[in-house]
This record gives sequence, structure tokens and C-alpha cells, in this order.
Amino acid sequence: MRQQLLGIGFLAPAILIAVLFFMLPVLLTVGFSFTNMSTSTGIGGGEYLISQSDLRGLEAQGITAETVERLDAAGFQITEDGLLRFAEIYGAERATELRDDYLGDSFEARRDLERVLRDLTSEPIRNTRERKAAADLFAVSLLGERFASEAAFRGALATMEIPEADRDRLTTLAYTGWRWTSENFALLMELPSTWRYALNSAFYVAATLAVSLGLALFLAISTFYLPDRLAHFFRAVWFLPRILPPVMFVLIWNWFTWDTGFIATITGWFGVPQQNWMMQTPIHAWTVVILINGFVGASLGMILFASAIKAIPTSMLHASEVDGANRWQQVIYIMLPQMRWPILFYTCYQTLSLLTSFEYILLSTNGGPGSATETWPLAAFNIALNNYGGNLRYGLGSAFALVLVVIGIALSLFYLRLFNFKELVTKPRIEQ
Amino acid sequence: MTTLTRTTAMAAALMAVSSAAFAEDITITVWAGGSNDSDSYRVEAIEMAADILQREAAILGEELNITIDGRWDFAGWSEFKQAVTLAAEAGDAPSIVVTSHLDIAPWSQAGYIVPIENYVDLDAWPLNNVYPNLMEIAAFDGMQWGVPQDAESRPFFFWIETLEALGYSEDEIDTLPDRVASGEYTLQDVLADATRAVEMGLVEEGYGFYPRVSNGPDYAQFYQSFGGELVDPETGRLVLDTVAMTEFYQFFVDAVAAGVTRQNHIGTDWGQWYNEVANGRAAFWHGGTWHYGRYISEGNEDFWNTVQFSLIPAGNEAGRANTITHPLVYLVTAQGDDRAEEVAAQLVAIATEPRLNTLHAIQSNHLAVTQVQEGIDLYAGDRWAAEATERLLTSANSQPNHINYGVFSEALFSGLESAWTGTQTPEEAVAEVEAQLRATLGDELIVR
Amino acid sequence: MTGHARIWHLATFLGLLSLPLLIMYLYQLIDSVTAPRPGSLLPGEVSFENWRFLWASIDQGRPSIWQVTLNTFVFSCITASIICSLSLTAGYALSRLNLPGRPVFLGGLLVLHSFPTITLIIAIFIILQSVGLYDSLVGVIFAKTALLLPFGIWIMKGFYDTVPWEIEMAGVQDGASRFRVWWELVLPQVRPGLAALLIIAFLDSWSEFVLPLVLAPSSDVQVLATYMYAVINDDTNQDFGLFKAIGMFYSLPVIVIYLLFQKQLMNIYGGGTKG
Repeated sequence: MRQQLLGIGFLAPAILIAVLFFMLPVLLTVGFSFTNMSTSTGIGGGEYLISQSDLRGLEAQGITAETVERLDAAGFQITEDGLLRFAEIYGAERATELRDDYLGDSFEARRDLERVLRDLTSEPIRNTRERKAAADLFAVSLLGERFASEAAFRGALATMEIPEADRDRLTTLAYTGWRWTSENFALLMELPSTWRYALNSAFYVAATLAVSLGLALFLAISTFYLPDRLAHFFRAVWFLPRILPPVMFVLIWNWFTWDTGFIATITGWFGVPQQNWMMQTPIHAWTVVILINGFVGASLGMILFASAIKAIPTSMLHASEVDGANRWQQVIYIMLPQMRWPILFYTCYQTLSLLTSFEYILLSTNGGPGSATETWPLAAFNIALNNYGGNLRYGLGSAFALVLVVIGIALSLFYLRLFNFKELVTKPRIEQ
Repeated sequence: MTTLTRTTAMAAALMAVSSAAFAEDITITVWAGGSNDSDSYRVEAIEMAADILQREAAILGEELNITIDGRWDFAGWSEFKQAVTLAAEAGDAPSIVVTSHLDIAPWSQAGYIVPIENYVDLDAWPLNNVYPNLMEIAAFDGMQWGVPQDAESRPFFFWIETLEALGYSEDEIDTLPDRVASGEYTLQDVLADATRAVEMGLVEEGYGFYPRVSNGPDYAQFYQSFGGELVDPETGRLVLDTVAMTEFYQFFVDAVAAGVTRQNHIGTDWGQWYNEVANGRAAFWHGGTWHYGRYISEGNEDFWNTVQFSLIPAGNEAGRANTITHPLVYLVTAQGDDRAEEVAAQLVAIATEPRLNTLHAIQSNHLAVTQVQEGIDLYAGDRWAAEATERLLTSANSQPNHINYGVFSEALFSGLESAWTGTQTPEEAVAEVEAQLRATLGDELIVR
Repeated sequence: MTGHARIWHLATFLGLLSLPLLIMYLYQLIDSVTAPRPGSLLPGEVSFENWRFLWASIDQGRPSIWQVTLNTFVFSCITASIICSLSLTAGYALSRLNLPGRPVFLGGLLVLHSFPTITLIIAIFIILQSVGLYDSLVGVIFAKTALLLPFGIWIMKGFYDTVPWEIEMAGVQDGASRFRVWWELVLPQVRPGLAALLIIAFLDSWSEFVLPLVLAPSSDVQVLATYMYAVINDDTNQDFGLFKAIGMFYSLPVIVIYLLFQKQLMNIYGGGTKG
């Protein structure tokens, strides 16, 4: 019992963090993907607002012409009601003057009414804010006014004598916050770009994996045969990409490939016109993206495989040499079979992390040229959080992310089977 | 009736408060997007305004201490907008933002910003002196949300030496802007001249026509050149003119095919781009009025004798020569604190003071926002400001403030990028843009 | 083994393969301490002008490099320590203690370990915002900790698994509580693993870019990654010498740590296979 308490105590903080910043985000992502959340709807929930530009769409949404006309009425009108309220705060003298000169008049904009208030002969309202507040007392239109609650909005509709039949529909339409919807997934299927992102991602994962796996194997095996010092040197050279900060690693690639960078300078000696070797064509861009990620992936693989080779009993290698096997045969018949599991593990691990990573692409080509290297996760990030128009579509972005979440869970469950999960969870040996 | 009660209460409260005097400490944060050192007056003008406002308060016997916390070190527009949006969501938005007028529509809908007209008198100095059309650009849905911070436009540039080598006489070069404006000299002529320039070896291949290297309002100009309209003036809906869009994309594809523009041009480094156009490596290009200062700092001492500028030429019969002005605006964000919003709005009004705005206009080569600036020595003495205003600003239009314009303009550019880089043909690209916009904009789009 | 000549063939080939990287490293070093010579590969004269960001502000809008470095350091240290302490306890519980639902925890851990974490960033933002930690280092620390924790626990579990049972058995038979056994007998056995995890977690946090970019945009919580990114993206100032110097400054701790602890580093990545 005490042992269980200890276990729970030991696990609790980790579980708390995992739940708060892992499980909860997953659930929220699922939720968001079924909303139309974006910059203009906000995240926190909305208010009720009918704006001038909303008016033009109302009839198409089944609102009667009468209602629209009512809503479109002039914004400010001098009425007895308004004057009464006005007199209370700003004095009877001013109210009388207003009544005499303007009773029944309408003003399109508050600014026009403000001018009247400033020019009152009895006693102008001098303070800007007071004048605005005074003008608001005569507001008859709810266009452009934000209502914090549904009740307030409905109250205003009632005051304006909007026909009952339209009120529910109007309330729905006036809500500025996000709504539940499954449109994102329909949109996902409909957009031609979706398929391009999917294909890009598939190509990216396959090609990068091939490059990094090949490189990693070659590096691990060749450094095994080299004298210690040399091996050490090359491993260091190839390990750095893994631990250098991405911003830094991509910077040196930028320098290497840009218009007056290293490649351009060298090729310039042979009369090749100056060009950007990263962004010239989609082929250039893909090459660079795959190499950057391939190098980073190769670092990890090299270490994994090198330690796997080290674990091969030297007697096996010696025996093969006695049998007259050459290097090539040694690699094919002894090393590779021994590295089966590390290779499989590496492939699984890399597939998943490549599928969901976008940091290096964001920093290097940012999906260009012409969205040629825009992969699925990068598209999700750009849609939801990062674009020139500042138009952040959290809902659609989450739908994109959710697809990855599903694939991620499916793949990792598959891997669990593959690596024989039961064996991993054998019971601890101390039983009390 | 809740609104009315609220307003009444507020009015009463205002009456009560206005007489009380107490020491007040207010911190105003200002974030400016798309800025660098030469645009520092976007923030500094607010600092100077704060000084003035404090003095004004002191005269009234109030103690007002305003601390300004300015920031403009964002990596780019996307990072800036992401930061503002998320901060606003977190209830932690800067008090004042300097941003594109295009953000007004979505941000007002989301409730991130408050209309400046609720806090300041638009009929009072200096706001009553701002060009009415600029004021209009900072308004949306019948409300004045912001105040223009600067004006600019995006001209077409010609390298005079190359024109001369192509056989243009001095007189022809002088009248070129007029011929562009009248629609006589079109983008097709640009293409023909650029091709000749490359063939004659006046400029290298890919340097005949040397456009902007990243997304920006500039590209909407070329859509307009081919007869495209961004918004339907009657209904206020966005317009996708497929014919104009296809021809606009085709123009860039033709330019690549003719060898006058590089296929991988998008994404070229800005620093390199400025340096090249400022020193005559390109025959034709387009940019912004604020590029003038940059060309000088890139070593072009003699702008007026080396560079000619005009509207963006028309593309075909259907189109017109045009230019887009894309003013940045001061917006006041919803702080949930009426007094902080009021002070922020007052600072914006004071920062619009012609002298203060002129500092920014001349330092960063932007154009004036108020009419009297023409009479201020610093501004009047600047030939660029004077000529650019006259030649460009009179025919400038702006992009529409529409909630979905961001989606529209992203789609326009990504289609262009696909066609330009050869990923798709112009027709395919337009079809994809159309499919995407129909799916995302629905009723708010008119396809022609 | 045999054949000197063949080894040199191999070494030469490997050298050629590594050439791009070697060139990048070499010029990274050269360009950061010499004056620029555009269009030429020969180094210019030695100059420390590129390092001016250390003592002067490169432009007015930017926070001081020392503030940024301090932020990065605090962020990395705290994140690494939290990850280590949580992994240390959770790893032990999962490796040695007989808990109800242990297979579920382990399975869940593996799924999390291989999860598209970054795609959750929108949701993480909303959680941080609702608890008031958006735009603060604390928020980024939590997010980073959560994303790295499954890896940490898995690694620590791997190290605990290699500790011989006999050690614990002996302790338990002497009548010590499991907690004391863990504290006094088991912990010293996994010290190398802990050190390795600490280093990895530190390096990983030091390099982190997207989380601070999205979750902490204010000037006073910039980290080196976002600072460097902003400097590179400022289009008025395309100065590769400066960028490389900043990059050098940024990578220096990484390289020093690598040189000091390479053995442990190789160990942990090798150890990953056991998972």
C-alpha cells in the first residue's frame, strides 16, 4: 500500500503536467477543429453586433426586408424620451433648446449630432467625452453597437420593435464569437491545396528518411573501420547538426546557398550566373530542405547505429575475417542483420517526427517557392498562426493539426505492437 | 434598455469625475509593425505627444504621468500580427498599435480595438485637417476606428540610363509618367522594352523587370492594371475577376518566359534587392514611395537623374494605370479601462499634429496625412514628398476594409506564386484561387 | 584490422562527403571575426566589428543581448531541472513500482513520446492564456517541459531498468522503506543517466525556437533563438558577418557543452534504442 502511495506520489507531478499541457491540448485541438474560430471571431467568445456590412447579407439569410429597413434607419434621433434623459444630466435649458430646434430630426452619424451639441447657444457641451455620451442618449439604431449578452441584444431588438419572427435568426447572425461547425473538414476535402500539402509531406518524409538513414548507416559503419582519432573527428562533425540551434544551423545553410553565398561564388568562377541555390526552383528548394533535415536526422542515426555496432561481439567479426569475408560481406551479412532493430526503431521514430516537424522548413524555405515545399504541419502552422494578412484561422488550422494527431496516434499504437509492448511492461520483481 | 442605462450612468460619472484632481500614472504600450530604425517616429511621436498631454494636464492642475513603452523589433509582418492577435486574446494587448488599415475589419469584429471616435473629437484640430480620403481608409462600417499614421503609394520605377540606351529621348522620358497615366504606355510595352534591354545586354537576364520580392499590397495593383476590381462598390463584396486575374498571372509568366524576370525571384533578399535597383542593375521595377530614401542610402546620390517613376501602367484595354496607397494607422485597443483607452486616443490625436507627423514623413520618406503639412518647411522643402504626392497620390486607391480581405489577398498572392514559379499554369492557378475563395468566402465573393 | 590504403580511401571519401559541413563550420568561424569581402572567399582582415552587438545596440528597437542571453539561460536551466526531477521520480515509479494501471501509463507515455507536439501549440496558447501565463517565460517553461517530459521519463526509465535488482532487494530486506532505498541506493546508480538527461534537456531548451516565438512575443522575454531570427529578418540590414557572430555567440555554450560532455551525450542517444 505504502508502495503504491509512493508510486502515485512519484508519478503525480509528471501526470499533472502531461494532462495540462498534453492531454488537454489534444482535446482542445479536437474541439477547435469543429469551430470556425479565427481572428475575427476571437477565441474567448463573442458579443452581439450588427454592423453596416452585415446588413447587405441579411436578406439572403432569410431576414425580412422590413426588418432590414428598420435596422438601417438613421442612427440618432431627437425624441421626447431622449430629451427627458438628456435634461436630467445636462439641464433643462439645453434640452429645451434642442427640443425647439431639432425635435424629430435624425442624424446619420453621431458626429453630426455632436456638432449640434457643441454649438448649443444656451451652453455648449464643451467636453468631448461628455458630448459623445450626450449624443449616445439619442441613439435609435443598434448598428455598430456591441452587446455583451444575448439578453441585452434581444432587449434592444424589442425596443426597436423588430418583428418577433426575425429575432431568433438575427440573434444567431449577430453573434460575433465562434460557432460549432463541421465546415473545416468539408473545406479540407474541397481545397485543392490540401492534396498538395499531403503529397509534399509524403515526399518529404520518404526522401528525408532515405537520405538520413543512408547517411547514418554509412557514417556509423565507416567510422567503425577508421582509426579512433579520425572516427572521433568525423563523428563530431556529423553530430553538430543535431545539437546546433536550428536558427543557427539554417543560417549557415542560408549563407551557403544564397545569391552571393558560397555555392554561387564557386559556380560564378565557371560563368554560372549568380542565383539563389535554395530558392531557384522547387527542385533546389527540396534538395536543400531534404539535406538540412537529412543531416540533422543522420546525426541521431549515426549515434544509434554506432552503439549498435559496438555491441556486436568482436569475435563474430574476427571469425568472419578468418573465413575470408571482405568488408562488404562483413557489413551485409553480419552488421546489418545485427542492426535490424535499431534500424527499425530509427525508421519508425524518424517517420513520425518528420511527419510532424516543420521548424527547419519554416526557417529555410518557409514553404516556397510557390508553396512547393509547404508540408502539412507547416500549412497547419501558417493557417493558424502565421501569415502576412494576419488572418489567423485557428479552427481550420486545428482541423489540419487534428489529422496529424490521428495519424500520430495510429502510428504510435502500431509501433507499440511492432516493438512488443507486453515485454516492455513486465511486472516489477519486488512484490511486497 | 441596458445600453441606455449604461450610457446614462457613464455620462453622469463623467460629469462627476471631470472636476476631481488626482495624480494618475498610466503606462501606454505602443507596438509598430513593419518598422525599422527609420520609422522610429511611429513610436517617438507618441512619446512626444505624451509630453504635451502631461503638460496640458499640469496646466489644468492635474498630475498625469504617462510612461510610453514602445516596440518595433518584430521579425516581420506575420510575427507582428500574430503577436498582437494573441496578446489581444490574452487580454494583454498593447494600448496602441501601428498597423495596416486592413486589420481594422477583422480586429474590430473580434473586439480587439475600440473606435477612436468614441474618445476624441474628429472635428477638432488636428484630426479635422487629415485628408478626408485617408480618414475614410481608417474607417469601417460607419465608424472611425483609427487615424492614418502615414501615407504612401507604390509607384513603378524606370532606370533612365537604360531607357536612353533603348532609344528614348530626354523628352520622351520626361513625359513617360503622363503616357503611363493616360494608358498609352502599358505593361506590354514594359515587357517589350525589358526584353530588348536584356537582348541588348543593357541588363542581365532576369533583371529586365524586377518586382517586389515578397507578398504585399503591390500585387493587387497589377490585378487592377488588367481590369480587376477588388471590391464591388455597390454591395461591398469582394470581387474575383477571373479574366483579369488570369491575365495578371500570365503577365508574370510571360516575363519569366522572356527572360526578363527570374522564375525564383520571390524570396530574393530585400537588402540585395534594394542595392540592385538603386544602382541600375534592373531596367524596370516597382516599389514604394518610401524606397526613395533607401535608394540614396544604397549609394544612389543622383535619384532624380537616374530614376523615373510613374503609376503602375495599365495591362490592357480593360485596365487602368493605378497605384495603391496603403496607409498605416494608429489603432487604440480595447483595454477594459476607459481612462487608458481615452489617454491612448488623445495621444494618437496629438501625434497626428502636423509637425510631429512631418518628422516621420520626411525621415522615412512617407507622405503627409494632414493638409497643412505642405506648408511646413521641412515637408515643403522635400522634392520627393512634393512630386510623389502630386504624381501618385491623386490617382491612388486603397484596398478594401473587409473582414475577409486577408484571405482574398493571401489567395491572390499564392496563386501568383504558383504560376510565377511554374508550379501551375495561370489558368490552373486561377481555378485553384477561385475554388479556395468560393469555399472560404461564400456569399461575400462575387466571381466575374 | 587490415589495409591502410583502404582506410585512407574510406577516410578521403568520408572527408569529401563531409566537405559541405566542414566548409560551413570553417566559414562560420572565419566570417564572424573578419571584415566582410563580398564576392570573395578569401577572408578579409581580422575585425571584431561583427561582435558589436555585445556592447552596443544594433538598432534602437531591440532588447539588450545580455537580457536576452539571461532569459535563454534561465529558461533552459529551469526547464532542464524540472524535466530532470520529474523524470527521476516518474521514471522510477514506472520502472520499479507495482502500480495499478502501470501498462496504461507506459503505453500512454510511448504514444506521447512520439506525438506531433507542435501541432498543439494553438491549444497550449489558450491554456496558458487562461491561467495568465501567456507572454511570460514561465509559460514557455511549462510548455517546453510538457513536450520534453515523455522523452525524459522514457530515458530515465531505461536507466532505472539497468540497475540490478539485487541492490534494491538488499535494501528492502534490511528493512529500509522504498523511498529510502530509492534515495540512498538507486539514485547513485542512475547518476550518469541523470547527467545526460540534464545536458540534453538544457541543449534542447537552449535551441527552442517556435514555442517562445508564439508564446512569448514581448521584448523582455525574448530568447536568443527569437532574437537572432528577428535580426536576420530585418530587411534593412543584411549583414552575414553580424548574423554569424550572433550565431557564434548563441552556439558557444552548445559547443563547450559538447566538448566537455561528449561521452555522456553519445550515451544517451545510444541509450534511446532500448526504448
